[in-house]
Amino acid sequence: MTNVAVSTESGRVATESPPIEVRNVSRWYGNIVAVNDISFSLEAGVTGLLGPNGAGKSTLLHMLSGFLAPSSGTVNVLGQPAWKNPEMYARVGLVPERESVYPFLTGYEFVLLSARLHKLADPAAAAARAIRQVDLESAQGRATGGYSKGMKQRVKVAAAIVHEPSILLLDEPFNGADPRQRLQMMDMLREMAAHGTTIVFSSHILEEVERLAENVLVVVSGRLAASGDFRHIRRLMTDRPHTFTVRSSDDRRLAAALVGDPAIFGVELQDERLTVRTSDFAEFTLAIPRIAREANVTLLELLPTDESLESVFSYLVKR
Amino acid sequence: MNAAIIQLTARQLLGQKRSLLMLAGALIPVLIAIVYRLSEATGNTIYIRETNQLISAQPRWVAQVLLSQLIVGTLLPLTAQIFGTAAIGSEIEDGTAVYLLSKPIPRWQIFASKLFVAWAATTGLVLSATIVSTAIALDQPFEYRILLGFSLAVAAASLLYSALFILLSILTSRALIVALLYVFIWEAVLTRLFRGLRFLSVRQYSLGVADSVIHAPRQVFEADLNGTVAIVLVLVASALLFMYGVRRLAAWEIGEST
Repeated sequence: MTNVAVSTESGRVATESPPIEVRNVSRWYGNIVAVNDISFSLEAGVTGLLGPNGAGKSTLLHMLSGFLAPSSGTVNVLGQPAWKNPEMYARVGLVPERESVYPFLTGYEFVLLSARLHKLADPAAAAARAIRQVDLESAQGRATGGYSKGMKQRVKVAAAIVHEPSILLLDEPFNGADPRQRLQMMDMLREMAAHGTTIVFSSHILEEVERLAENVLVVVSGRLAASGDFRHIRRLMTDRPHTFTVRSSDDRRLAAALVGDPAIFGVELQDERLTVRTSDFAEFTLAIPRIAREANVTLLELLPTDESLESVFSYLVKR
Repeated sequence: MNAAIIQLTARQLLGQKRSLLMLAGALIPVLIAIVYRLSEATGNTIYIRETNQLISAQPRWVAQVLLSQLIVGTLLPLTAQIFGTAAIGSEIEDGTAVYLLSKPIPRWQIFASKLFVAWAATTGLVLSATIVSTAIALDQPFEYRILLGFSLAVAAASLLYSALFILLSILTSRALIVALLYVFIWEAVLTRLFRGLRFLSVRQYSLGVADSVIHAPRQVFEADLNGTVAIVLVLVASALLFMYGVRRLAAWEIGEST
């Protein structure tokens, strides 16, 4: 596993232990292991929980939010076990993945309900502030049953932040949001993190995590494949061996020319298909037009064959 | 209990089409009482050997047919299972339960608030049907005690049924089916075939509660369970169901009943 320390120095949570601490946690359903011996701790800041669908991100997030018991290991939030500890929700906000909200409540009523359940001193003011934060004022009087997917996401976020939590957990929060809403929500989360909130969000979209998270936890097949600074992990992802298929006016001549390039360590010509393996993604994509030109070959198509997230994650696991 | 949860649950249960359906169901005993009242059967009499008296058959029909079978045996469990399984079951099913459970509220408060609304909705509806239909069908001396006895029986059984069906909806996503099997197989068939099972039947408890108040000749109405035993069983069973329900709610896992 690639491991880089996950921590930032700031943090308003006045606990001796980190706000989130996961130690040797596994969770299985019968014979199926959803999360396998994962350990990490998180401080204030934005952490992205990244992984392909079915990797165990939601299971992990559900354990962090106290809605799943670990089969083994411990999940501590704010120094206390997350499981069977409703008191922790006074300082924890949760945005679940399912888009369902109470369809008969207006957006304002939904957020107000959350404020009342938190027994806030001035629930109406807190609800109004949270709705303003997610930019939903114009639709707050409408029943949530008629909301778009993106609006539902925003009202869920408003309900989760109405009590100004120290920890905010979000399961796929950008699903259904349009680009403008996405940026607006990202700005809001960044600002909360800057004020000392520990934010953990799950996503299977690399670009979302890249734009928002300082730290990432990459989960693949229930295991923590990598954790730490996002740029470091991104570099690992980029520098891994890549495979391309190439179609040109003369594959055989192009193959002969490519063999001489130091960034290329494998060329295969089979069934009229040219496959090239390179260790340097950037160098190769810059070099191939030049090599083709020098060999007097016309490039017709250049396709990366293993660019799926799954293959990227699998590579990280093997390291 | 929690006022916000009570208001939310009341809007969930009463603001939907199901309330209109339940209201239509509650009108059935009333209509049957009207038909009975207009029929010649109201003039029938029964002989009470113990007192050597002939009395009107109206109280017997009201107690045994209208109240025991139609209301306590059918309308009450059906209403309770609709409201009880929906009180939290619908939230568990559509995922909105998370919004309640991710709050710093003791689980007993959530369960108690849900139970209160389910109980109040069931009792309100069934009690209205009980009062109106009894008032229509009866004009004899047992009127007051029959009405009081069955009113208490409805209130007590409604509490127990609601607790049972809320618990079922926490335990399984098939709560409605399990509840139907309980009411129409266990209570309606098995407890009649095997008398020992009456100790595990909400319906028998409620009839026992009614009997403890009515004190009518056995030809008019007699329950299988002693009144005191029935009251104790209602209290003990309600407490046990409540405690177990709270415990299960505290250990509720996402995806468990969905």
